Amino acid sequence: MKELLGLCQDALREAGEAEVEVVLSTKQRGFARFAKGELGQHMQLEEPSAVVRVADGRRIAEATTSRIEREAIVLAIREARAAARFVPETEGFVGFAGADEPTGEDPPRFARSTAEATAEERVDRLAPVLERVAKAGFFSAGVLETRTSAVAVATTRGVARSHVSTTATFKVWALETPGAGGAAGYAGAVHRDVEALDLAAETERAIAICRDSRDPGSLDAGTYDVVMEPAAAAELVEWLATIASAAPEVEQGTSPFAGRMGERITGDGVTLVEDPLEASPQGLAVPFDREGVWRTRVPLLERGVVRGVLYDRLYAGRSGTRSTGSSLMPDGGSATSVGACAVHMAPGTAASVDELIKGVDRGVYVCRLHYVNGLLEPRRAVMTGLTRDGCFLIEKGKISRAVGNLRFTDSFLEGLARCDGMTRERKAIPTWWSEAGASVVPAIRMRGFRFNGKSQERPQPAGK
Amino acid sequence: MHALEALPLDAALDELRQAPDVRYAEVRFVEERTEHLRVRDGRPEQVASGGSRGVGVRVLGAKTWGFACSNDATEAGLRQAARRALAVARASSRITANAVVFPARPASRGTYETPLAIDPFTVPLEEKIAEIDRAVRALLARGKPIQSAEAWMEWTRFTKRLVSTEGTDTCQTFTYGGCGMHVIAVDDAGEAQRRSYPTSQGGDGFQGGYEEVKKVDLLAHTDRIADEAIALLGAAPCSAGSSSGKRDVILDSSQVGLQIHESCGHPTELDRALGSEITLAGGSFLQPELLGKLRYGSPIVNLTADATSPGGMGTFGWDDEGVPGGHSPLVQDGLFVDYLSSRETAAALGRESTGTMRADGYARTPIIRMVNVSLAPGKGTLEDLVADTKDGIYIECNKSWSIDDLRQNFQFSCELAWEIKNGKRTRLLKDPFYTGITTDFWRSCDAICGPEEWKLWGIANCGKGDPMQMMQVGHGAAPARFRQVTVGSSGGRS
Repeated sequence: MKELLGLCQDALREAGEAEVEVVLSTKQRGFARFAKGELGQHMQLEEPSAVVRVADGRRIAEATTSRIEREAIVLAIREARAAARFVPETEGFVGFAGADEPTGEDPPRFARSTAEATAEERVDRLAPVLERVAKAGFFSAGVLETRTSAVAVATTRGVARSHVSTTATFKVWALETPGAGGAAGYAGAVHRDVEALDLAAETERAIAICRDSRDPGSLDAGTYDVVMEPAAAAELVEWLATIASAAPEVEQGTSPFAGRMGERITGDGVTLVEDPLEASPQGLAVPFDREGVWRTRVPLLERGVVRGVLYDRLYAGRSGTRSTGSSLMPDGGSATSVGACAVHMAPGTAASVDELIKGVDRGVYVCRLHYVNGLLEPRRAVMTGLTRDGCFLIEKGKISRAVGNLRFTDSFLEGLARCDGMTRERKAIPTWWSEAGASVVPAIRMRGFRFNGKSQERPQPAGK
Repeated sequence: MHALEALPLDAALDELRQAPDVRYAEVRFVEERTEHLRVRDGRPEQVASGGSRGVGVRVLGAKTWGFACSNDATEAGLRQAARRALAVARASSRITANAVVFPARPASRGTYETPLAIDPFTVPLEEKIAEIDRAVRALLARGKPIQSAEAWMEWTRFTKRLVSTEGTDTCQTFTYGGCGMHVIAVDDAGEAQRRSYPTSQGGDGFQGGYEEVKKVDLLAHTDRIADEAIALLGAAPCSAGSSSGKRDVILDSSQVGLQIHESCGHPTELDRALGSEITLAGGSFLQPELLGKLRYGSPIVNLTADATSPGGMGTFGWDDEGVPGGHSPLVQDGLFVDYLSSRETAAALGRESTGTMRADGYARTPIIRMVNVSLAPGKGTLEDLVADTKDGIYIECNKSWSIDDLRQNFQFSCELAWEIKNGKRTRLLKDPFYTGITTDFWRSCDAICGPEEWKLWGIANCGKGDPMQMMQVGHGAAPARFRQVTVGSSGGRS
């Protein structure tokens, strides 16, 4: 957005400081959240933010304001300038990004229909969803969000970038009870264009999963072959990217990539790429990072071999390499951080999830995961979590029955080493924490995945 | 408070009072000031100050709610935000079958301010940075196998004014802080072990001033956590040591706090139990028909929701619906007796709100949040409890956390454990985890340490809602013992 960039540059000029970086962002979010079959939380949100960093030599300080006005930004620059005098020097800091930073072609990220969606339109789109789920005899829950994001980055060394994108996200649940457990089905999609979301199809999918999930049997904890839908696999892939791919974790020695560049650490069918420039509708990321560095496509794992690490300018400088454009956009002034924003897992060859299921004699088909945590033993990517919204037993290549939710605890890298099937089709999975809003993954099949517990299928009153 | 009182918030209410379909409205102005300081491996990783201000307007129209926010707190900006919130409420009301029931209540008026001795925003920046920098340098001074060390300090001040069509007008100022550190040791084989103080993942928080940082005293604990991180590299993996996979477990106070958070705090949120939080966090096994009937824990388990605990991160004067902060039991003598609730959700059960609606900043709508959800202390010291345990494990400082969408099946891993044999700590164990079902676990609680071991912990980043909201909450806890819990090691495939 040219207005934001102009504001950045005006503020830089007026502040008159030698070494400054300004990041301005605005988000306009129409957020319609429904539950129990009613649209109970419908919000029109405006989220403006200005984050400035000022360097006094190698002393760096940051200030944030929610006021996107020249005076407020200049004031923030002056505050950061005053603070920088008291900050110890940052070894390896070589200044903010300059005009010599390479640039590239802006990937398509904007849809007018999303940007112009009104509260009335969101309600009109959701009305048949709520009606359809109720008609199926279930309770509905979910979200339809239409978002317009604008960001501009400018530095006193001449970086000047701006970008506008839109994101439309739909998540829907069909539930046997509104919040007390029982059968549940989920579906969701994300796209830059709200018109491209097929709300009816996603709703039918959620209803079908919920219907099939009724009257679950019990399945004991144990080691099972597992087929995971993209929505389930995405949770694990995102955690792997978080604990493994960024330079700070590699430098600390906690990443599974630390000291293993060029080494095979998982199965040769596994290729993981940070792909922020993806031009297809599955790409949602801003093409430059918070430092104004143009992002690059970085292979992280190629056929199971560690190939890449994500850097910002500081960590790159300390490691004698170039930034990969992986300084994450500031989120309300939170810590400057380095990491993945658009993780894509390479597809396999299976024509469908059914084909993956066909190759399982006895195993578990998982639609979605809940509360995954990858901090148990990051060096081996040991993770734990639970199934949610659809968990089924596979017997002799077919889904035989619904089962109650299971807890898994296993190394995802070791699980991927036993991965022998992925679908050709991949899906963009909306996530709450990813800067781009989605990860792109296929369905996967892993042999011998360890499930170490199960939930009670129904809440159990125990009496006094 | 004078600046807050001068804000033209009534302009938004005036705008809404003119609309015949508005049943209730509240306007909340929030100004936030933050400071984030972080030093890693001897260099500043983050020195950031922040400020934001704006208004959130929530309107109850003919049938349902609308919410809008703006960073423009001028009269014109307020009126515009009010009109947008009303437009959203009207749009949503078109497809709302059951009108929201929102009982009226008397207006609240008054002020609240965090009691503090030293205003952290007046302490020189260099002094605060030096405090955490000293700790990092002391940790790194140990040399190999210490690979990395980090320390941080954070301050937040919220100034908030709430006005409503009921006549509520409250002004509140909160000052929250926290600091902590961790160290990572890595051996030649690449194994990494981490130790944190006072807790991990963001550390312990409080509501108070800079005087609280002095009590944390990072420097006094650097040697211990560095020693433990190094010792863990050579420690045996935690194991049950029996075919049942079960062992008696003593949890340290901070881990009891997190256990309360995940397995009592969240499931007693009435919006979850009634199904309003499915899109992110899930529901709750604590359904209304179990109120007063479900034996949640053993008879010594007493859990309370207290928004009045001095220094607690969940302490306030009034919630964001104007309900005064109070004190109420959630689990009494082991029996599940009440929820954390709002005016709307409590009304659904014919009850009164327990006053727990809070929003993260001005740009989010209020939702039910934990206050200080605490476990009442029992008797004796931690060493008394260890001495009373024949064969068990003492587990300390959280490393990972996970619980199912109804808050029944949980699993936590921690940074370290000690084996207990015949009343004595014997050997250090690494990568411990324990897992169970909420009610089975709390029913197995047979000892809770006394007031001398009880501490009010603060969590600054409890996530809930969609879009995500972060909130400050508190948990008072003492070390406690749980019989025959499933334990294991997260390291190594078994």
